[in-house]
Amino acid sequence: MSASLKNAVKRKTHKERAQPTARRKFGLLEKKKDYLLRAKDFHKKEDAIRVLRGKAEARNPDEFYFAMEKARTKDGVHVVSTSEPNRYSQEELRLMKTQDVGYLTLKAQAEAKKVERLRSSLHMIGMAKPRHTVFVDGEEEAAAFDPAAYFDTHPDLVGRAFNRPRTEQLANPPPVAEGDTLAGVAARSERRRATAYKELLQRQARGEKLSALAARMAYAKEVAGKGRKRKLTPAEAGGQKGVFKWKAERKR
Amino acid sequence: MAGGAKVVVEPHRHAGVFIARGKEDALVTKNMVPGESVYGEKRISVEVEAGEKTEYRVWNPFRSKLAAAVLAGVDNIHIRPGARVLYLGAASGTSVSHVSDIVGPEGARIVGLNSQYFLKNGGNFVISIKASCIDSTAPPEAVFAREVKKLQEQQLKPKEQVTLEPYERDHAVVVGVYRASKKKDA
Repeated sequence: MSASLKNAVKRKTHKERAQPTARRKFGLLEKKKDYLLRAKDFHKKEDAIRVLRGKAEARNPDEFYFAMEKARTKDGVHVVSTSEPNRYSQEELRLMKTQDVGYLTLKAQAEAKKVERLRSSLHMIGMAKPRHTVFVDGEEEAAAFDPAAYFDTHPDLVGRAFNRPRTEQLANPPPVAEGDTLAGVAARSERRRATAYKELLQRQARGEKLSALAARMAYAKEVAGKGRKRKLTPAEAGGQKGVFKWKAERKR
Repeated sequence: MAGGAKVVVEPHRHAGVFIARGKEDALVTKNMVPGESVYGEKRISVEVEAGEKTEYRVWNPFRSKLAAAVLAGVDNIHIRPGARVLYLGAASGTSVSHVSDIVGPEGARIVGLNSQYFLKNGGNFVISIKASCIDSTAPPEAVFAREVKKLQEQQLKPKEQVTLEPYERDHAVVVGVYRASKKKDA
């Protein structure tokens, strides 16, 4: 076969090996070039530590620089004082904070929307124990109260608040499950439901955190903004710290 | 929403109400007009026998106090196929549409007038109470007790009361019966 013909024939494309599914949690599969980068970086740091250790060992205790007079430590750690001025102006900082608050609010709202959508078909059936009060005439009746008789159901079903079928319903054609009730199908839908509930809980928690953070940041922004205010003492603010009260001012 | 074979529908104690268990875990009513959503709620269709389908509409207890009361295990909602229902305080009509699913066409009437004029002796009522709207300082249990007393003064005799966790905070639904005073009866 001539070389030109060989080139014309499609050759097998070799794909890079991917991370196996079982090891997905470790991220992308590391290749040789990735390893080299990591190894070089590690050895660079190792060398730097070795050099510093050597310098510390060979240190002259009598060594003195005038800069040492100004040097300070905080909790035993040397603090390098920088004379660099604030990079952003007060205005710019306020604008950046506004944008942060806006972004967090947006994300919190998106999360709330998703929670609402999930909740519309996940009704937490039988997950809570609401308080049920039954009003009867007089003490004797209260003493003789029989929940199963009152609800007209089987005694075993009294605790099943979300649906207590009546005796008549239990006697007549049993609560026929419409549709398919194959065990495999039931187990699969059970699993999908559990996943959906898990997602709901996670989204709820995340949404609450986001909106709480957004509120806190918005408050901090207000405190940093204009208007005469004073800080309330914890006693005045009902035990809470960092509560401010603004002076009423006529707005035009 | 195509439920197909993956949904199991369990008839509820209250006629016309069902519980659908599939990917969803939901209270549903049988849709009076299959193929139509009233307020953008989900629909679940279930194959009863080969080719025959029934469609249900999801009744969200986070939006409807009546649905929350049904799941809280109230004994009787007095709303069943063929019943005549006076629904006071209908806002966007989400709950009302499900009430209509249960009782069937021409059953639900929405009148914004005092129930005393419309209930006959032995007529039933279902009322939802939001504690924080009546007195936000008193504990909810005390507010419910006070409201029940008020109902009794108006000859509305309460039969039972359920709280609506986890769907609403500090809410209760009271179900009872209206009767004229005993003096008049005699």
